[in-house]
Amino acid sequence: MGKRSLVDQLNQAVEAMLARREAVVPPIDPNLEPLLSIAAELRNLPSQKFKQRLRKELQERRNVMQTSEKSKTEVLQSVTPYLCVNEAGELIDFTKVAFGAKELFRTIGSAGGIHAEVRIGDSKIMIGGGGAWRGTPTPTALHFFVEDTDAIYQRALEAGATSIAEPSDQPYGERVCGVTDPAGNQWYIARSLEGPYVPEGLRNVNLYFHPINASQFIDFLSRAFGSVEVARYAAPDGTVAHAKVRIGDSVIEMGEAHGPYQPMPTTIYLYTDNVDASYVRALQAGGVSVSEPADQPYGDRVAAVSDPFGNTWYIATHIKL
Amino acid sequence: MNEDISLESVLKANQRETDERSLIEAAQKDPARFADLYENNFERVYAFVVSRVRHREEAEDLTADVFHQALASIGRFEWRGVPFAAWLLRIAANAVADHWQRTPREHGNPVQNEPYVSWEEVEYRARLFRLVDTLLEDQRAVVIKRFVEQKSISEVAREIQKTEGAVKQLQLRALRNLRARIGETHG
Repeated sequence: MGKRSLVDQLNQAVEAMLARREAVVPPIDPNLEPLLSIAAELRNLPSQKFKQRLRKELQERRNVMQTSEKSKTEVLQSVTPYLCVNEAGELIDFTKVAFGAKELFRTIGSAGGIHAEVRIGDSKIMIGGGGAWRGTPTPTALHFFVEDTDAIYQRALEAGATSIAEPSDQPYGERVCGVTDPAGNQWYIARSLEGPYVPEGLRNVNLYFHPINASQFIDFLSRAFGSVEVARYAAPDGTVAHAKVRIGDSVIEMGEAHGPYQPMPTTIYLYTDNVDASYVRALQAGGVSVSEPADQPYGDRVAAVSDPFGNTWYIATHIKL
Repeated sequence: MNEDISLESVLKANQRETDERSLIEAAQKDPARFADLYENNFERVYAFVVSRVRHREEAEDLTADVFHQALASIGRFEWRGVPFAAWLLRIAANAVADHWQRTPREHGNPVQNEPYVSWEEVEYRARLFRLVDTLLEDQRAVVIKRFVEQKSISEVAREIQKTEGAVKQLQLRALRNLRARIGETHG
């Protein structure tokens, strides 16, 4: 070792160690050996940049959790329409301008797209997608009860919707019209002609399905999610002209696919008491697993199932944070 | 073995337990308080994970996974007198096992077969990592640039505008200080 200084001896040993983890370290003064052992541990010293980045990520995640918690206490409902579209940002703006929606929160979801929740009257709607999102859009049909069908129809058109049908009184007791919003969702804007403008048991915004073979769809909902049939009206050909089924605190409506009203594969967010049990039941009823139940950082345990009619159900149980 | 258990050490341990328990309860009520648990345990989790993988990027990804999972599940953590860090390390052990299952076998997996890192080793490394923050600024800079960023003496010298000899001196002093301080707290 001769005249090599301690400083140089240590540095040469560190050099050898950093160059290759298992490198043969040149002989050094025995007093330096404990220092070299510290140096060996420091090769695994975490980067401060990483620590700070992770701290920030966790902070952002906590903000999402807290906002999500807040929105859950604002509107609780068993069945929430989840409108997944490429024009998510535009749709949020449209619902605000046309329907007076209130944005509850907006974040970037796990698939890189927008996830937002808006409230319209007494109803919550989830909106997902946007430019960065690469999923398949699932625009949805909705039965939307308002005080003034004609005024909302006009506002919807002015906000960029296109007309499906102008407002008219219908023999089943509603003044109703139809519009397609800029993202492709169909809104059947209606008011009840008798009693309160929202019929008893319904919300301002309700999912409306046009399945092929609606009676089988009703059967699936009953077996998979324990839905209860509230009403069923048969068409002259024996198909289901109109039906309502209740799941939890929400009602789903439907009518057999006909004419321009064809199936629109839809995404639904469904709260149940026990996601694991509901998931198994949905699979036994003929659903196909999209994802198994797993805890999510926003405070829900969530599974996903696609049904035989092309709809995707996110089944969730809110877990305590 | 129990000779060194003084009343003072027992009281200190009880206080630590009470403090940790109140931090956990605070985080369960308000996720914003998870930050304290993160600061107290980051080095432990990282020290555990880094000893079980081959690359820094893997260690960072897995450490991030562990804290994301912990944040998501903190509401269901039940206090049973076991340190919170033990719960985190169990999540970390599962994350490492999942990681190796996902890693193609043909790449070999020597780290997986290494003896399991002990709690004492994790504590020792975590304490050492935290002690780096207590070094004087220029010594700390040299340690980070040398060992985290793996820069040569000449690169470090250029970046912190000192001579190569001065950088080597700072390296020696930093390691001596760390050795002395870890000795103070470790044995």
